[in-house]
Amino acid sequence: MNVLIVEDEKSLAVEIAEFLKSENFLCDLAYTGMDASEKIAVNLYDFVLLDLGLPDYEGLDLIKEARKMNSEASFIIITARGAVEDKVKGLDLGADDYLPKPFALPELLSRINAVARRKFKISNPDITLGDFIIQAQARRVLCNGNEVELTKKEYDLLQYLVLNQNRVLTRQQLYEHIWGNILDDQYDSNFIDVHIKNLRKKLNNHTSTPWLETVRGVGYRVSTEEQ
Amino acid sequence: MMRLKTKLSLFNLLSKLAFTALFLILMPYIIQRINLRHIDNELIQKREQVLILISNIGIEPFITSDSADAFGSYNILKDEFVSIEKVDLEEDWNFIEVTPRLIEDEEINYRVLNYSFMIDGQTYLLEVGKSLESILHTEKNIKKVMLLFLVFIISITFLTDTQYNRFLLRPLDKIKNKLKQISDPSLFDQTPVKTNTSDFQRLDGALRELMEHIDILFRKEKEITINISHELLTPVSVLRSKLENLLLREELDPGIQNKIEESLKTVHRLQSMVNSLLMIARIESHQYLREDTFQVKEVLQDIIEEIDPVAEDKGVMLKKQMTDDFVCKDANRSLVFSMFYNVINNAVKNTPMKGEVLISCHKKQEKFFVMISDTGIGLTEEQKSRLFSRFKMRDKNSGDGTGIGLAIAKTIADFHEIEVVVSSEPEKGTTFSFIFPEIS
Repeated sequence: MNVLIVEDEKSLAVEIAEFLKSENFLCDLAYTGMDASEKIAVNLYDFVLLDLGLPDYEGLDLIKEARKMNSEASFIIITARGAVEDKVKGLDLGADDYLPKPFALPELLSRINAVARRKFKISNPDITLGDFIIQAQARRVLCNGNEVELTKKEYDLLQYLVLNQNRVLTRQQLYEHIWGNILDDQYDSNFIDVHIKNLRKKLNNHTSTPWLETVRGVGYRVSTEEQ
Repeated sequence: MMRLKTKLSLFNLLSKLAFTALFLILMPYIIQRINLRHIDNELIQKREQVLILISNIGIEPFITSDSADAFGSYNILKDEFVSIEKVDLEEDWNFIEVTPRLIEDEEINYRVLNYSFMIDGQTYLLEVGKSLESILHTEKNIKKVMLLFLVFIISITFLTDTQYNRFLLRPLDKIKNKLKQISDPSLFDQTPVKTNTSDFQRLDGALRELMEHIDILFRKEKEITINISHELLTPVSVLRSKLENLLLREELDPGIQNKIEESLKTVHRLQSMVNSLLMIARIESHQYLREDTFQVKEVLQDIIEEIDPVAEDKGVMLKKQMTDDFVCKDANRSLVFSMFYNVINNAVKNTPMKGEVLISCHKKQEKFFVMISDTGIGLTEEQKSRLFSRFKMRDKNSGDGTGIGLAIAKTIADFHEIEVVVSSEPEKGTTFSFIFPEIS
């Protein structure tokens, strides 16, 4: 998939691009609004990651332009402004999602994934992990045909880990994904540990889960390589 | 404490009463003095008339040399008399006094002029008297009339003065009311109060100017906070993405991985602080919408579900006692959620193992209370006083929080006009009470 990253902070744009390339996205960079405007006019993008705080351009105007040109691109707004009006305005103008800075790169992937699913009406394929089958469409986990009872939070955690499989996620990244920004201050590593502990307990009631790894001092990982 | 209007009326009344009292004390004396002087003049005039009469017709018609030594004459009503008698005196008499006289078995008080004179070597005493009874009577009547008049005048002037004061002070009341209603200088009513009293005009003008000035300063301060926060978030963002990308490299050894994670944690703490300050500044400058309607009980229920696993893991009992429910209107649900969440999470954090956190809500006297009590270590007075200050509780929090959670909770409560009361006993625990504005 083609992604245009519109971000005046070059080093941030480069990091986002590096991450997305590792996920097999094709990335273009635009550091100014003018540049972005031209690129949108010439190329076809599936996604535009748009920073609203561009020095030379009102970021929201880019969405209007793209819509006029019948561009199929989905816009995800990334901004440090983060004010409520911006969010409402951006989504009204046809942005598909909104991510306040600073965000976690795995979170960006999760948002892109969600937008893509909606846009192309594709359902996430069922994922098999050992004896478990994760049915993303039905939001449930089966073990040899038996459903594993999980809370919404436990399921979200598992799905986020699975989406970023073979990649270690820190407790903060997991926490932010589940609780969002509003509870930012109360981030407590304990929260994630407790939920992972409960999740593991429930899964282990059916069969062992060697694929759900604890990376000491860092976080958690769903690993599919060694299976 | 007394209202200015009441004070003025009271002073008005008291001064009038004092004046009346003084008048009532002095009046009899003054009237008496005036009357006596008047009578004395009359008596002297009469004396002169008698003396002229004697010099014209001689003393004999009154007192013969042999028969009588005295002469006396009264009018029918006995309110006046003239008497002449022979006396032996060492010195001349010429004075006026008040003495009782017995006339026909009746004792009457007279003002009497005593005057001695000599004819042919014989000393005579002339007495001219006037009864005081009639005067006393008039005095009494005058007093009565005066008193009635005074009471009448005082009540009338008191009423008119009070009314006028009220009229005069009305602009002051208006200025006072303008100040009473506001919680933020931006809400100050900037329309000038109508008055032609220059003092009030100046007061009102000064207040309006002051409020505008404060409002501008407040707004600037909030803007600066918001701008600085935005400026800070971009570098934090860069740092964070770089570290996250680093962490994804496959060839890392665990030690380096660990260090990167720790750096990420620090970046996250920075991000938390900036976001918290930003949130407070945004709430204070009313950038959050208040258009949700929701049940408070349901919000509390959601929070309990979130926190319960952690509390259980920590060995803290999360109890609830929710008797009444309350519909919160024109509020921001996620902010209210955040407010309760911060306080409940804080309570769980500060409660030792086997302790309890009780969440209760009830209606009482048309108000809705949500109370969060823990059996933690409690707070000292000093800790209590800085409970809601930003960053000051840092030393107490053992967790990863920035110590700003309670400050946020307080800001959200203020934004929704929810009163927060904290009571605490060291070693026993702390109770946070949230009192929602009256149920309309």
